[in-house]
Amino acid sequence: MKNRDLQRGIIVDQQEGYWRGQFSAMASPCEVLCEIDDPGEAERLTRIVATEAWRVEDKFSRYLRGNIVNRINEANGAPIEVDAETAQLIDFSTTLYDLSNGRFDITSGVLRRLWTFDGSSNIPSRPAVRGVMQYVGWKRATWQAPILQLKRGMEIDFGGIGKEYAVDRAANLLRDASALACLVNFGGDLVAVRKPCARDDWKVGIEATVPSRIAGKKILNLQVGGLATSGDARRFLISNDIRYGHILDALTGWPVPDAPRSITVAADTCTQAGILSTLAMLEGAQAEQFLNAQAVRYWCDRGNDS
Amino acid sequence: MKAKNKKSITGTLAAATCTLLGSSALEPVQAQEDPGWDFNTSLLYYGEDNDRVQDLSLKALTRRTFVDDRFLTVGLTLDSLTGASPNGALPQSVPQTFTRPSGRKTYSTAAGQLPLDDTFHDSRVAVTANWQQPLGRLYQFNVGASASKEFDYLHLGLNAKISRDFNQRNTTLSAGFAVAQDELDPIGGTPTGLTLMLDAADDDDDDDDDEGRRKGPRETKDILDIVFGVTQVVSRNLLVQVSYSYSDTSGYQTDPYKIISVVDGTTGDAVPVIPAPSNGPSHLYYFEHRPDSRAKHSLYTQGKYYMDGKVLDVSYRYMTDDWEIDSHTVDLRFRWPFGGSSYLEPHLRLYSQTAADFYRLSLINGDPLPEYASADHRLGDFDALTVGLKYGWKTSGGNDMSVRLELYTQSGDISSSQLIGNQLGRDNYPDLNAIIFQFGYQFGK
Repeated sequence: MKNRDLQRGIIVDQQEGYWRGQFSAMASPCEVLCEIDDPGEAERLTRIVATEAWRVEDKFSRYLRGNIVNRINEANGAPIEVDAETAQLIDFSTTLYDLSNGRFDITSGVLRRLWTFDGSSNIPSRPAVRGVMQYVGWKRATWQAPILQLKRGMEIDFGGIGKEYAVDRAANLLRDASALACLVNFGGDLVAVRKPCARDDWKVGIEATVPSRIAGKKILNLQVGGLATSGDARRFLISNDIRYGHILDALTGWPVPDAPRSITVAADTCTQAGILSTLAMLEGAQAEQFLNAQAVRYWCDRGNDS
Repeated sequence: MKAKNKKSITGTLAAATCTLLGSSALEPVQAQEDPGWDFNTSLLYYGEDNDRVQDLSLKALTRRTFVDDRFLTVGLTLDSLTGASPNGALPQSVPQTFTRPSGRKTYSTAAGQLPLDDTFHDSRVAVTANWQQPLGRLYQFNVGASASKEFDYLHLGLNAKISRDFNQRNTTLSAGFAVAQDELDPIGGTPTGLTLMLDAADDDDDDDDDEGRRKGPRETKDILDIVFGVTQVVSRNLLVQVSYSYSDTSGYQTDPYKIISVVDGTTGDAVPVIPAPSNGPSHLYYFEHRPDSRAKHSLYTQGKYYMDGKVLDVSYRYMTDDWEIDSHTVDLRFRWPFGGSSYLEPHLRLYSQTAADFYRLSLINGDPLPEYASADHRLGDFDALTVGLKYGWKTSGGNDMSVRLELYTQSGDISSSQLIGNQLGRDNYPDLNAIIFQFGYQFGK
C-alpha cells in the first residue's frame, strides 16, 4: 500500500491550448485534458478523475487484499454479500455473458495462470487448460443479488470492464463538476466530455489498417463520446507460426483464432466501446462482420493480414 | 449460428450500460478518421533480355481521407521506355534493311536475327483521380478520371462504379463502366494498312505520291468497358469474388510501327527488292492492318483463403474476343507472415492465349491480300510464366516497405502448317525473358 500511495501523484502541465493532468492508475498512464487556461482548475478536475480511478482500482483490483473481489475470490465456496455497486457490475457482466453466448466471462481470469502473453512461445498444454477450465463458467456461479456464491477454486475478475467503467464514472463526475470540455484517457480507453470549443476535436492516435487499406498509424478526431481499444500489438504468443492474441475465449480456454491485432470502437460511452471491441475480438475472423451489424464506427488492425 | 454471431446487441448493451453508469442521455459519439494523406509509392524496373524493352516506372499514389469515409485518390505514373521491339518481319538468312517509322532513315538487321526496331524509346506520364464515398448505409459510389500522354499517344478516360452490400454485408454486388478515347499520332504519320513499306525519303527526292499514299492523319479509338461483380463472404476464412466484363473498342487498333514480311510461296524466304534500293527496304514488307472493332468478354474469379494470418489468393481469368483470341490466366499468391511484422509472398502466374484469326507470320507473294493481317507476336499463340517472390516488412516508423523480384518467360507457338519452306528451320518467334524488380514504400502523414 505504501508504494501505491507514493505513485499516486498528479502532474499538471500546459499543452497547446489546454492543460493536461497526468497520473497513474490501473497499470496505465492516465491523463485529463482540460480546455482551460487555469492550472488550478485543471488540477482540481484531474484530482476528481484520479480519485475516482484510484477508488475503482482499490475496490475492484484482483491484486489487492481485503477488497470485495479478493473476498469473493477467497470465499472457498462460501456465499458473499456484495454492495450495490459491485452488484451492478456483476449484473452487467451477466448481461455480457449472455450477449456473448458465454465467451465473455468474469470467471475466466484463472486462465491467466496458464497464459502469459509476452511474445514468447510458451503455449500451455491442452490437459493443463482443461484442468483450469473446471474453474471457469459463470453458469457454475450462483448469483442472487446481493449474494454471490462461487464454486471452490473459482474467481472473478473485472479486468475486462473495469478500466472503461472507471473512465465513464470519472467522466460523469467531471460533467457534474465543471462545464468545460475535457478528455479523460486511461491508457487508450477514453471519453470526450462535451464538444471542445477552442478546437475542432481531440486527436487520438490508434493503430489501424482497415477501412483504410494503406497501413500505418491513424489519427482519429474525437469530438464527444467514448473510444476503446481491445487487443495489443505487444501482447501475444507465437508457436508453430501461429500468433495467439491475448483475448481468451472463456468457452475453450484458448485465444480466439484469426482475431484482429486490435480493434478500436467509437460509442457513446467508453464502456460500450470497450465491450463492443472485446466482443468483436471474440468473433475472431468475423470481427468486422460483427461490428458492421452493430452499426458502430470502428478501426480494425489486422497487421499484414489484410 | 451465423445469424446469432452477427445480431445487433447495441440496444441491449446501451440499456445495460445506462443502468450500470446511471448516466442520463449523453450526446452521441462523434469520431472520425483524421483527414490525412496516405502515400503509396513504388519504383519498378522491367527489363527484357537481348536488349529489348526496358522500362523504368515510378508510381506515386496518394489518398486523402475525409470525414465519413470519403476518399480522394490521385495517382501519378512516370515511365521511361527504351530498347528495341520486334517490327514484325521474319528473320532471314541474309541481312535486312528497313525504313524507319519517321520515313527519313533506314536501319538493318543481321542475317539470322529477329528484326528489331531500335528507335523504340518513349516517356509516358499518366495521371488518375478517383473519388469514393458511401451513399447511405449500404451503397458505395466511385467515380474517376484518367489521362496519359506519350509523344505519339494521348489517352483520356472516365469511370464510375456503384456497389451495394446485402445479406448483412456478406454479399456485395457491383456494377461499373469506363469510357476512354485514345488518340494516336504516329511519328511519320499513320501508314495505310497493307501497303508496302517505302524507301526513306531523301531531302532532295520529292516523291509526293508516296507521301500522300502512305501517311494518313492521326487516328482515334473509343473504348467502352462494363463490369458486373459479386463478392461473397463464404465462411470466416473464405472470400470469393466473381466478375464479368465486356469491353468494346472501335476505331484504329493497328500498330502503325509493325510490318509483315512478304515471302516466296515455296521457299518461305522474304522477297527481295530488285534492284536493291540504296536507301530503302531490302525486301517487301507490308504495314500491318487490324480490324477497327474488337469486342472482349472476360470472366474473372478470385478466392482468398485466410489461415492463421496466412493468405492464399487464387484467381482465374478467361477472356475471349471476336478476334478469336482466347486467353486463360491463373494467378497464385501466398502471403506468409512471420516474425510479427514481415511477410514473404511467392507468386506464380500462368498465361496462355490463342492467336488472332488474322495473325500470320508472313504474306505470300502473289496471293491476294487478306483484309487484315498482323505478325505482331502479342497477337500470336503463346504461353507465359511469371515466377516471383515479394518480401515486405514494417519499418520502425510503422510504414510498409517491400521488394519484389519476378522472372517472366514467354514462348510462342507457331503451328507447322503456317510455316513455309525455309521458315521451318528458323526461330521465327524467339522466347522472351524479362526480369521485374519493384521496390515499394507506403507511408502516411
